[in-house]
Amino acid sequence: MSTSDKFARLSALKPVRSAAPLAEPSNEPMQGDEVTQLLGGLCQKTKYGQHLTIRNWYSSPEFSEPAPAALDLLTRNKDETLSRKTRAALENPERWLFLDTETTGLAGGTGTYAFLTGIAWWDAGGLQVEQFFMRDFTEEHSVLCELAARIAERPVLVTYNGKTFDWPLLESRFTMTRRIPAPKLAAHLDLLHPARALWKLRLGSVRLTDLERQVLDAERLGWRREDDVASALIPQFYFDYLRGGSAAPLAGVVRHNQMDLRGLAALFGKINTLLSTEVLAETDGRDLFGLSRFLHRRGESPKAEKICVKALEAGLPAEHRQQASRDLALMAKRRGDHAAAAELWKSLLQGNQSAIEACEQLAIYFERREKNIELAAEYVQLGLAKLRSGGQRLRDPFAEARILRRENSLLRRLARLEQRLATSRPQLQPERSTAATAGRLL
Amino acid sequence: MGDSLAVRQVLEHTKLAQGPEVLLEKTNAKARAALEALAARDHNGEVLTAVRHFPAREAQWAEFSEWVNADLCAAYGAKGIARLYSHQAAAAEAVHAKKNIVIVTPTASGKTLCYNLPVLHQVLENPDTRALYLFPTKALAQDQLAELHDLNTRLENRFGVFTYDGDTPGDARRAIRERGHIVLTNPDMLHTGILPHHTKWTRLFENLKYIVIDELHTYRGVFGSHLCNVLRRLQRIAKFYGSTPQFICCSATIANPGELASRLIENKVEVLSANGAPAGEKTFVFYNPPVVNKALGIRRSYINESARVAQEFLKHEMQTMVFSNSRLQTEVLLTYLQRANSQQPGQPESIRGYRGGYLPNERREIERGIRDGKIRGIVSTSALELGIDVGSLDSVVMAGYPGTIAATWQRAGRAGRRSGSSCAVMVASSSPLDQYIVRNPDYFFGNTPEHAYIQPDNLEILLNHLKCAAFELPIEATEKMGEADLPELLPKLADAGYLHRAGDFYHWTQEAYPADTVSLRSVTSDNFIIVDITGEPRVIGEVDFPSALTFLHEKAIYLHGGQQYHVEHMDFKERKAYVKEVDSDYYTDAVKYTQVRVLEGANSERISPGGENLWHVRTHGDVLVRSQVVGFKKIKFFTHENIGDGKLELPENEMHTTAYWMTLERGLVESLPFSVSERQSGMFGLLHAMASVATLLLMCDGRDLGTAIGERPPAAGSGESEFAPVRYEEMASGKMKEFFEPNLYLYDAYPGGIGFSEPLFRAHDLLIEKTRELIAGCECEDGCPSCVGPAGDLVPRAKEAALAILGRVCA
Repeated sequence: MSTSDKFARLSALKPVRSAAPLAEPSNEPMQGDEVTQLLGGLCQKTKYGQHLTIRNWYSSPEFSEPAPAALDLLTRNKDETLSRKTRAALENPERWLFLDTETTGLAGGTGTYAFLTGIAWWDAGGLQVEQFFMRDFTEEHSVLCELAARIAERPVLVTYNGKTFDWPLLESRFTMTRRIPAPKLAAHLDLLHPARALWKLRLGSVRLTDLERQVLDAERLGWRREDDVASALIPQFYFDYLRGGSAAPLAGVVRHNQMDLRGLAALFGKINTLLSTEVLAETDGRDLFGLSRFLHRRGESPKAEKICVKALEAGLPAEHRQQASRDLALMAKRRGDHAAAAELWKSLLQGNQSAIEACEQLAIYFERREKNIELAAEYVQLGLAKLRSGGQRLRDPFAEARILRRENSLLRRLARLEQRLATSRPQLQPERSTAATAGRLL
Repeated sequence: MGDSLAVRQVLEHTKLAQGPEVLLEKTNAKARAALEALAARDHNGEVLTAVRHFPAREAQWAEFSEWVNADLCAAYGAKGIARLYSHQAAAAEAVHAKKNIVIVTPTASGKTLCYNLPVLHQVLENPDTRALYLFPTKALAQDQLAELHDLNTRLENRFGVFTYDGDTPGDARRAIRERGHIVLTNPDMLHTGILPHHTKWTRLFENLKYIVIDELHTYRGVFGSHLCNVLRRLQRIAKFYGSTPQFICCSATIANPGELASRLIENKVEVLSANGAPAGEKTFVFYNPPVVNKALGIRRSYINESARVAQEFLKHEMQTMVFSNSRLQTEVLLTYLQRANSQQPGQPESIRGYRGGYLPNERREIERGIRDGKIRGIVSTSALELGIDVGSLDSVVMAGYPGTIAATWQRAGRAGRRSGSSCAVMVASSSPLDQYIVRNPDYFFGNTPEHAYIQPDNLEILLNHLKCAAFELPIEATEKMGEADLPELLPKLADAGYLHRAGDFYHWTQEAYPADTVSLRSVTSDNFIIVDITGEPRVIGEVDFPSALTFLHEKAIYLHGGQQYHVEHMDFKERKAYVKEVDSDYYTDAVKYTQVRVLEGANSERISPGGENLWHVRTHGDVLVRSQVVGFKKIKFFTHENIGDGKLELPENEMHTTAYWMTLERGLVESLPFSVSERQSGMFGLLHAMASVATLLLMCDGRDLGTAIGERPPAAGSGESEFAPVRYEEMASGKMKEFFEPNLYLYDAYPGGIGFSEPLFRAHDLLIEKTRELIAGCECEDGCPSCVGPAGDLVPRAKEAALAILGRVCA
């Protein structure tokens, strides 16, 4: 069959996009110099060729001295303690490097490239930003060579989602060169996780741009992202440019990356302050509750409890109010104030979130502290009644299994309590209407 | 000895090579009683069409070679393996001599030792060694894991062995990449999960010494063509990390294991086919359900008959495994057998089902139950066909021919794995394949004619893997990949926007991840999604483009997982079909026009076997197939009455593919003493039967081959004017325009062809010979679904006409 016929109907060759490229392809491929000029950079020569380096210094955000208390909270990890070497690197802000990449996709894997890698560090009271751009795939090794040298100087990485995305991607790129080893990091602070813990309750989304607007007060800093490029379009801008399209949209990508780096540094400043000051400026209950939970999870119970109380005072939506009461109850129990915990559990009996847990906790309380076995048994009965009445048939097998486990644990507890009751007062009727029980306890 | 009359009849009927005494002496009492009971049903010798006895075979022993690591010898010794079977020793030697090998052995011959021994030896000698094991299913990998764990315990956990598949939890993956000396996975996971992330597997790829491909024979047709390309990518990545792995393949018995293996790995392969394992004696029986309507060729339900046969074995206290070919049938058989063997109070259920979809723990529990004998009867789909170790059973019953000789032997191998006497019974359905097999036992019991073919350079498949390869590692402009013409293909992919050339390399320039859209089980990624809108919309399946036109048109009844669905709406542009659950008493059959145009003949031969100037021609080459679904019929279940029609306007589907065809020249056609419509109907019937036989020879599914008839073009490649559509009914009933020199086409039903046409061209003589056996051996009068097609569709003397044509084309 003829060649053209052979290829005409292959679905594997179906053109990628039917729409016109985002940028008109120019007839003349753009000269290297034009791109350099357009993006405002310099051609950098390295051992492995050349690439474009774009340097800028910004006065904002200002330098924020990493506070030991904040660092401690940010790096606390159940499984391991920091080595002295790591700690020393972390405590020296001159060893810090903010990093953010612009890539040809989000899928990861060996076919995704970081075509623009931005790094930044504090310098002269402001932020020095450096960006490495590969004008074609042939320049990748040169970019990586330069990046490796920078990381060797400043091996503490600070990123936003970099633990999951940027750094594994770059590691993969280094591996693919087979000649430039991936630089060793002294530490890696990924601010996504603390940011999520602190602001997700209020903001819902914790994209860096949302944080800039709502947490970092971008207006005051005079930051604008009005002409910011949409992240989703970035890979296509680069592909279009590679195929001879205009490089103009890439100038927007370079700006976007600069803003992300500045936002990242500013975000660190914000978190740094929040975690290291005693007097909080926060007034939103949800922010306070987020902070309380962040501290609670890291074992800072006294502080967490104080802030949790503040959060309740500041006002929380109903669902979070119940969570906050539950946290407070657990913390009260932990420090041995069982009566206070019991009061909090009682307040949760009517709720829809922790009522069953509250029943169980109250049963434990009455059994162990008040030695009131009968009441303890009644709380277990109430818990069972709630568990069963809430039995809208769940399709999720995991949820069903969870409910089943819970039911079994309640039943075991009930059996044990009833046995204790039977030995002390054999005449007791174990069967008691749950409705009556519920009426008495609520 | 007092032979029963029934057994004597059976033995006479099947002309057993050995005398009846041999059979009766060697088959133990229980098996004999059960076989006698079966024979008692066979009043006129038409039911048990074959009873073959296979005597026990002694083991051929060999010692462990002195190079084998002493601890490994000791570990095997502790398992009770002090000596090797001869084929195991030969395999170990060949691997040790750095050869690529394919081991061809029946079920239960200890083939896993053939690869575990040399691989583990190397791992123990050099702990950097890494090996990748590929199994076609996850369940098989799990089974191998258990075996390797056992060895590892005896070796004080000196090596790491893990399965890596879709079920592997995320947090375990890192450990597997670092510490897995042996990683057990499947081709799909290798394709989407490992190769595109090879930088995370540096340790493995830098030290990859062995690739084990088990159940090699399953990689044929589309799946095999894909695997070949996945292996090309794997070898490319290995090379990048500086390793050149050696291949160890295992295959069930097929005619061309060496050819298949060397095509898959694109390298020289040594075939080891001697088998030194012992075998218990076995009786293999073919069971054809009795005819209830001779004229229409209708037989008793093979499902019910299978249940009866199984019940006979169970009654005689023989542990029995029943295989069915679908989930639905599994449930039916299970219900029947559970009813017949009601559970004893306080005892666990003695009859169990086993199929994909059961949870892993349940499966393990069933496997244990079979091994320790608590489960007396087990009804399974093909899930238990491949090497999962459940110990030996006394008997196996197959409800329907499993589709290939290789699979049939694998299933039969479940009975009497190690020693003792066992029975295997294959109960035939009324499909042409089944009927051919039971009526021609020599085809089955002789040297297998089954070949496995692949076509890795099918453009659609190749291009998709080129994309994946570029994603994994930029492709150098001068690189080679099989026979493919990369300098031509790479710029095409660049033009379409997938790749970009920078310097000497082509790089991937897409956000998407190409492996995700390439399924190893189909040719194109152009699929229709089936959405069930009975309740909350949910996706229930996916169907490739050509099948979608036939099965998912509006108002079609679509069967999925035993449930019927009515197609409410077909969104052609979005490639979606919306269906609702229904319970109807009919199914639909699409009315399709098909036309084939010859583009180019690759090879051709004119033949006149009997002289007398009666010529026919065999050809293979490239064709263009155009088809269009123009309507559908509603057919009532059971009675097959046509209860309504509908018209459809669907776009024409066109594909380039490869075909084999037979041309009947004018002289031959005119010599047939039949009317025009009888001749035409006969040709149609002949093609129907040829397609059935072709699927046997090619080990393929009926859907893999398309059929069509057309007038022979005046000269190859210029037949536009003769490009007339042919409609099934018209053809069958001989009502269409007369053909003077018809071409009977069997084409590959995949764009680009999947490698069936050239082998069919080569096997032309065998194909028509076996087709004649099929039609001549059928007991129906005027045609039936088992030979030339249902009598109702054909004109009365069509079967005769088909045989007359065959008389003129067979030597």
